[in-house]
Amino acid sequence: MTTEYTTRMGDGQRILMTREQILADLKEGMADAADLGEIPDLSEDELDKLVDIIAMPARMVGVEPGKEVPVTHDIGTIRIDGDQGNSGVGIPSSRLVGVMMHERAFGADTMELGHIDYSYKPVKPVISNEQQTMEVCQQNTIIPLLYGAMPNLGLYYTPDGPFQNPGDLMKAFKIDEARASIEGAAKHATRDITWIMKKMMSSGTDGINFDTVGAAGDGDMYASLHAIEALRKEFPHIYIEAGMAGELTLGLHGDLQYDGKVLAGMWPHQQAPVVAKAGANIFGPVVNTNTSRSAAWNLGRAVTFVKAAVKASSIPCHVNMGMGVGGIPMFETPTIDAVSRASKAMVEVAGVDGI
Amino acid sequence: MGMPITHIMTSGMSGIRAAGDLVARMEFSKSMRIGEAKEYVAKKLDVSTLDLSDEYVMREVREDHGIGVITSVAGAPKGIAAKMNIEKLLDIKINSCEMFRNQIA
Amino acid sequence: MSKEETFKELADAVISCKKEAVDAAVEKARSEGIEPAEIIEKGLAAGMNEVGILFERGKLFLPHVMLAAGAMESGVSILEADMPTDAASKKLGVIVNGTVEGDVHDIGKSIVSTMLQSAGFEVHDIGRDVPLQDFIDKIKETNADMVGLSALMTTTLPGQKEVIEMLKEQGLRDKVKVMVGGAPATENWANKIGADCYAENASEAVTKAKELLV
Repeated sequence: MTTEYTTRMGDGQRILMTREQILADLKEGMADAADLGEIPDLSEDELDKLVDIIAMPARMVGVEPGKEVPVTHDIGTIRIDGDQGNSGVGIPSSRLVGVMMHERAFGADTMELGHIDYSYKPVKPVISNEQQTMEVCQQNTIIPLLYGAMPNLGLYYTPDGPFQNPGDLMKAFKIDEARASIEGAAKHATRDITWIMKKMMSSGTDGINFDTVGAAGDGDMYASLHAIEALRKEFPHIYIEAGMAGELTLGLHGDLQYDGKVLAGMWPHQQAPVVAKAGANIFGPVVNTNTSRSAAWNLGRAVTFVKAAVKASSIPCHVNMGMGVGGIPMFETPTIDAVSRASKAMVEVAGVDGI
Repeated sequence: MGMPITHIMTSGMSGIRAAGDLVARMEFSKSMRIGEAKEYVAKKLDVSTLDLSDEYVMREVREDHGIGVITSVAGAPKGIAAKMNIEKLLDIKINSCEMFRNQIA
Repeated sequence: MSKEETFKELADAVISCKKEAVDAAVEKARSEGIEPAEIIEKGLAAGMNEVGILFERGKLFLPHVMLAAGAMESGVSILEADMPTDAASKKLGVIVNGTVEGDVHDIGKSIVSTMLQSAGFEVHDIGRDVPLQDFIDKIKETNADMVGLSALMTTTLPGQKEVIEMLKEQGLRDKVKVMVGGAPATENWANKIGADCYAENASEAVTKAKELLV
């Protein structure tokens, strides 16, 4: 009788697969990434290694000693005091307590401070509070502590902001107007992020984390790159991490460029050099999980994309491995077996510099 | 919380339990890739790169250098004080330490 | 020129996103005596399908999708004179699409609306953070065949289930197909709440809408 191994679907459900089925799904996921990104396949040895990782009998697996990497954290302390909407566990605690718990209880390599809304724009009215909290946290922590939030260009469009919603304009065939709206919003976002970080730098932050760059399409990435460039120019020693929102930069505008390259349609291995050129220190590639496919299919696809990004990048790559990304199932109570396998695969096969 | 803790246990360098914060600082401050960052830190600490994730080795090394340990040792450098020692050890500048220096007479 | 070559020329014209090219290709196909329905189905619509694939592959972007859809509409309008009344402008179906109450995420839902519209559906995008009763009211007002319910947060996902319950209460459930989507939505969730389908992304939304409505 053929041995079957317990693994997961992309939505977290437990399933059984044979080694042959796991390999077939890994290859199919890999082929999808290689085809879309026009990047190399994984080698036979790498595929075998991924099969071994998925089929390991232990509930939790780990990287080989000596291959450990720094683990950086986004969403700040919201995961402790936040609500279900941001995967928080609702423990009443100050942000200082949250940061110190990460450093001293969990053994985090770096940490981030963020506010509950977690977009840059709403930081402006509460900047003094953010600065004060950063100062208190910096006094008490040793690990690198960044300030982080999402560029979230969506907040600059009606009804939340001054620019007309480009989605509505596009549907009405007002393409030029939609593009002008995206460009206007991007300028505002760049200005806001730069202003906020000047303040946070004066309060001792180690740097900035751009979380989910490109979530609102190429305009979102354009705004982030220009903010990175401005911050690097003003603060040569600032730590800058830029994590993406998805494997493909969605072209809502279509023509926006950075360093002579069209941002729309970029895959992780194309995003990495642009992010480095703007002045970031760390690039965070993202590959979204397909919930209708197996963990093997998703891992094959994610590792193929990320491996190519790691190779193309001149700066460290910290792959994003939260809920529903990086080969991890889309489920808010992530299963330890799936998370640890995806984590090991990214370090040992994709060769990431961190997570 | 399951997600970050699982990553830390699976792949992480254990932060100040070992030398994860130091390697991360070199990735951030000098854009060093993982191999280079580990070699840089290991050389500065006079340990092997394998030692950097070894709590047994790093506990003593961290105490000796005054760069902070995970348990709350009375009188030992913590927070800014520990980071100032990290600046010297790794030959880097840390923003919060600069701010602190600027604020004292 | 063979019919297949003409169809390819029509499709390529749509993919070029240029209205003039589509108009010229349609006139040429007409002059070759090809039936209008065939010009639309095997030429123009095939081109739009390819545009959807190229969008998914990051080769074409949203403005191109809209330009291509506009060019196709122009081509179809040329054929209207040759077709039975209303046949040319007949939509594939009427879809009400929106993000459920409490959820301000707009972009993904908006892309789905655009792709459905460009694929030939009549789409009523009622926005984001939409009070659940508004979905029901719009379905009634437009006599919709399908409703698309987007939710980007686990906290707002139950809104999709509530709309389905409201449809049942109002005796509309058998008349209206329900599609759900958004990051936390899954096939299992769709099955659990009794939706007709779950779409992983915009192009899958088009495929599934066609399967259910066309």
